[in-house]
Amino acid sequence: MSCADLDAGPHPLLERVEVLANDRVGAGVGLLALRAPRVAAAVAPGQFVHLRIATGSDFLLRRPFSVHRAHGETIEILYQVLGRGTRELADRARGDVMDAIGPLGRGWDVPESAGHVLLVAGGLGAAPLGMLAERLAARGVAVSVAQGAPCAERLVARELFESVARRVEVATDDGSAGEPGFVTLVSRRLLETERPDLVCVCGPEPMARAVAAQAAEAGVTCRVSLERLMACGIGACLSCVVTTTGGRKRACVDGPVFDAGEVCWDGAEVPPRH
Amino acid sequence: MEQKFPRVTSADLRVEVAGLRLRNPVMTASGTFASGREYAGFIDLSRLGAVVTKGVSLQAWAGNESPRVAETASGMLNSIGLQNPGVEAFCARDLMWLSGRDVPVVVNVSGHSLEEYVRVVERLESEVAVAAYEVNISCPNVDEGGMAFGTSCAPAAAVTSAVRAATKRPLIVKLSPNVTDISEIARAVEDAGADAVSLVNTLLGMAIDAETRRPKLARVVGGLSGPAIKPVALRMVWQVARAIAVPVIGVGGIMTGEDAVEFLLAGATAVQVGTANFVDPTSTVRVLDGLTEYCARHGVARVSDLVGALEV
Repeated sequence: MSCADLDAGPHPLLERVEVLANDRVGAGVGLLALRAPRVAAAVAPGQFVHLRIATGSDFLLRRPFSVHRAHGETIEILYQVLGRGTRELADRARGDVMDAIGPLGRGWDVPESAGHVLLVAGGLGAAPLGMLAERLAARGVAVSVAQGAPCAERLVARELFESVARRVEVATDDGSAGEPGFVTLVSRRLLETERPDLVCVCGPEPMARAVAAQAAEAGVTCRVSLERLMACGIGACLSCVVTTTGGRKRACVDGPVFDAGEVCWDGAEVPPRH
Repeated sequence: MEQKFPRVTSADLRVEVAGLRLRNPVMTASGTFASGREYAGFIDLSRLGAVVTKGVSLQAWAGNESPRVAETASGMLNSIGLQNPGVEAFCARDLMWLSGRDVPVVVNVSGHSLEEYVRVVERLESEVAVAAYEVNISCPNVDEGGMAFGTSCAPAAAVTSAVRAATKRPLIVKLSPNVTDISEIARAVEDAGADAVSLVNTLLGMAIDAETRRPKLARVVGGLSGPAIKPVALRMVWQVARAIAVPVIGVGGIMTGEDAVEFLLAGATAVQVGTANFVDPTSTVRVLDGLTEYCARHGVARVSDLVGALEV
């Protein structure tokens, strides 16, 4: 490996960002719009930003969030209030300023040859798939979506998917929208009926693993966005490793999107809490 | 570059540690800065006193299971477990890259056994880019070696002597705070040939998720770092600086220039910035600018005048 290889790729930016809106869009789910001109211009679907939600030493680490959408000078972030960081984030209001590092990580790598892509979203896993759906549709790629959530109130970004996808099918654990049951029921059917060239999945790890197995069975390439607790977000601390066939890789710079075939799922861990 | 990273100039910031002449006393703490490449887009590395690399072992180490990190009040726990690609890959990739950055390189050396420490150093002796070694006898996250060498005097001295015999380069030994009397350990490694000591490594701690009744780290216990440990680190630097003749490098929760000044006043000749790099990738130069500003504000001509200048 030469030095040139090691220096490849643009460096992430450190940008002061301003809250434009912070709205509740579902049960415990918020949609944060940030004015972030430099990140918005550079971000690719599947990448994330590392937000310093509060300053002061009692609240130390940044929190990583997938970029849900990017348009003009704005990026949007979908979050679920789960822990201290997201509770703090829910309190941010229009005009508040924080700093962001981004865009970070490797996003969805969709080959030019893919004419039809199936997106599979579980819960907040819809977050990194929103921008992907929009960008794929804009470039003329057919998009199908299988979306699952615990209940109808947690089916975030459904309107976005319905506006750009040729087909959206839904499952909820409690049957309050779509089919009762897991999203894997829907993804299995769409894999058979839609014959996609590629599957892109994000959601709880057991669900992502099940969808990856379905795709492998159908002979379709599958990419998966994985979530890990992380500290630095830029590849230095080695907190966020994912066990792969090529060794332990960093979710923050080698991911968060991985080829499903390289992920060693038995190295899976309990879902992180923000 | 000059416009992107404006400089603040005034006091003479140069210090000498373990025979190393540094342009200023601000170094990075091992394990928080990788080998610097990840930070090169955020700061000008040549502004730093030195870069201390992530710990390097003879063979590649895979590190511990995830989760490896947990946030705590004013700090964080980690149990990375010294994951690194081994000394050969380190030389080919990291050291080659760092050697072109106009900053002294201190290689942090780890081992499971006394022999392994020596073999890592022997391999690095032919690398001209290495300015000094920092021997890690204080990592709480590995089962063999690491902290086991650093919590009593005889093994700490044995590692130091063995590495001392393998190199004439400046030798820094990084000490663990997880001991009854850190001064005793410091004296032991000084007598065994250390040119300086750095302290403290992380404090052994743990965190529990009450909802799930599970530990937050897969390894259950890990090393605590960040502002939460600064008072402990300051106290230990102050104690050690009074107990030994060789220089002390202060590390533990430094976030600002003022924090760095406090360590110098307690007796440190230089400082290392660690966890702060995870919070703000420009932390090292912010600390440096803050230190420079402090000197200007207090009419300090030489930053070395602050060393041990605590008024009690």
